[in-house]
Amino acid sequence: MASLQRKPGTGLLLVGHGSTQNPDSSPPTHVHADEIRRRGLFDEVACCFWKEEPSMREARHVFEAREVYVVPNFISEGYFTQTVIPRELELSGPRSTRADGTIWKYCEPAGNHSSMTDLLLRRAREIAPELPEEEISLLIVGHGTGLNDNSAVAAKAQAARIAERSRYAEVISCYMEEPPLVANWDELTTAPNVVVVPFFIADGLHSYQDIPVLLGMESEPTAAASQRAVFRHEPRRLRGRNLYYASAIGTEPGFADVILDLVAAFDDKHGTH
Amino acid sequence: MGRIDELLASALAEGRDCIGQIALRTRSEGGYRLTHRDDVGRDDLRVSQTPESAREIATYDDAGVYRPLKTAPNLRHGWALHLPDLAAVRAALEYFYPAALALWLAERDGRLQPTAMRETLGRQTGMYRVTGLLTDPQAEALVGELCAQTRCLRAMRWTKTPGGERIASLPATKFDPEHDPAGAGARVMPLLCAEMCNLVVAEARPVVKAAQAAAAAAASPAPAAAG
Ligand code: SF4
Repeated sequence: MASLQRKPGTGLLLVGHGSTQNPDSSPPTHVHADEIRRRGLFDEVACCFWKEEPSMREARHVFEAREVYVVPNFISEGYFTQTVIPRELELSGPRSTRADGTIWKYCEPAGNHSSMTDLLLRRAREIAPELPEEEISLLIVGHGTGLNDNSAVAAKAQAARIAERSRYAEVISCYMEEPPLVANWDELTTAPNVVVVPFFIADGLHSYQDIPVLLGMESEPTAAASQRAVFRHEPRRLRGRNLYYASAIGTEPGFADVILDLVAAFDDKHGTH
Repeated sequence: MGRIDELLASALAEGRDCIGQIALRTRSEGGYRLTHRDDVGRDDLRVSQTPESAREIATYDDAGVYRPLKTAPNLRHGWALHLPDLAAVRAALEYFYPAALALWLAERDGRLQPTAMRETLGRQTGMYRVTGLLTDPQAEALVGELCAQTRCLRAMRWTKTPGGERIASLPATKFDPEHDPAGAGARVMPLLCAEMCNLVVAEARPVVKAAQAAAAAAASPAPAAAG
């Protein structure tokens, strides 16, 4: 994975969604920032959020570095990465030079990147390490709501790549709000074991509360992840199968490497200057 | 040492040892101690030693309820952070009051450029585009309530229109960065508000929607009762 060289004189800004209601939305972004900070690759590493502080507008003042890489901590291209973040950070393209001479480099979101495929594979193996892949149906669950949200496209592409690189009985992308629906998981799959990996950034309302209800694991949404002592223990027997449910892919510690790969991918594509 | 760290050092040297609800003191053993200002004299506090602990402390209030606005005056009590140096203090303050020192430095440098309310509302898209229709009286009522010092400790730097008037429904102290928002007259590092935050923008939406619904109802009165 990431073999990014130290980048003196540069900063890294992670942009997360955040929430005014759910305390579990922003921690993964902070934790990945901690990990990247620990590696000492950038002079400064900061986070900002759409719904929490600091705001994107405020985060523009945080850096003393002359060059800042902006990585949207979002699963896919969509309204936030294409409209909200460029507007709030005043980015005019992949590379923006401000009046004060600082250069802001806007990286792509994680969802389509090949290192995300590695991470999804690792997550799927971790959750059911003792089972042969041939006896597992793997479900990648995205959000999927029509307009200007490409999370469904990204989930589908990742499922196809995983299918090529693994021996799972089947790898299927499904969605909360459009077919194939995750609620029909037992009809979509054939193997005795079903591993479900939420294609989300945080264990927020969707992956921690809504999807378990759609899967039939819970009859009603539970308390937020942080309000519960332990993550659910797997597997559980449901609809005649063994169901394994992972935490959101964005909470995987290896996600920090995906973020660094996005910075490296920016340099590959646009050069370092 | 970066400029923000220098700012923090000079603020402490000037005797500005409070920020928001936090008191910052040096320890006789060396290093620094951060506590809630109400807790300065207590010796029964739960002590943590890493800046990252500030994240969890800042997330919930005394009742364990999530705090969506870090500058709301509902910081939890009962904790102390013992930190070895100013870099660690700065990192912890970044979680308690994100970007506050950076905004203060920008203001001192003359770089802050607050954004007027009309600009903030005017650039919204998607479901918040409608907030551009917020009238001045609606804004006065909404901001007067949500930004009151009992709800948010920041000193407001923005005006209603570029170079125009401030929100009239708030007291003068709300606009004064030297004012101790905790009302204790201490010398503080200011918490600045350079533009209407997303919490207030989000609350503007139902205000506009309700006014639109009321206007629509008035335009098409219900059929008169028979009789
Ligand atoms: S707009 Fe500024 S002063 Fe008002 S609540 Fe938000 S941060 Fe506080």
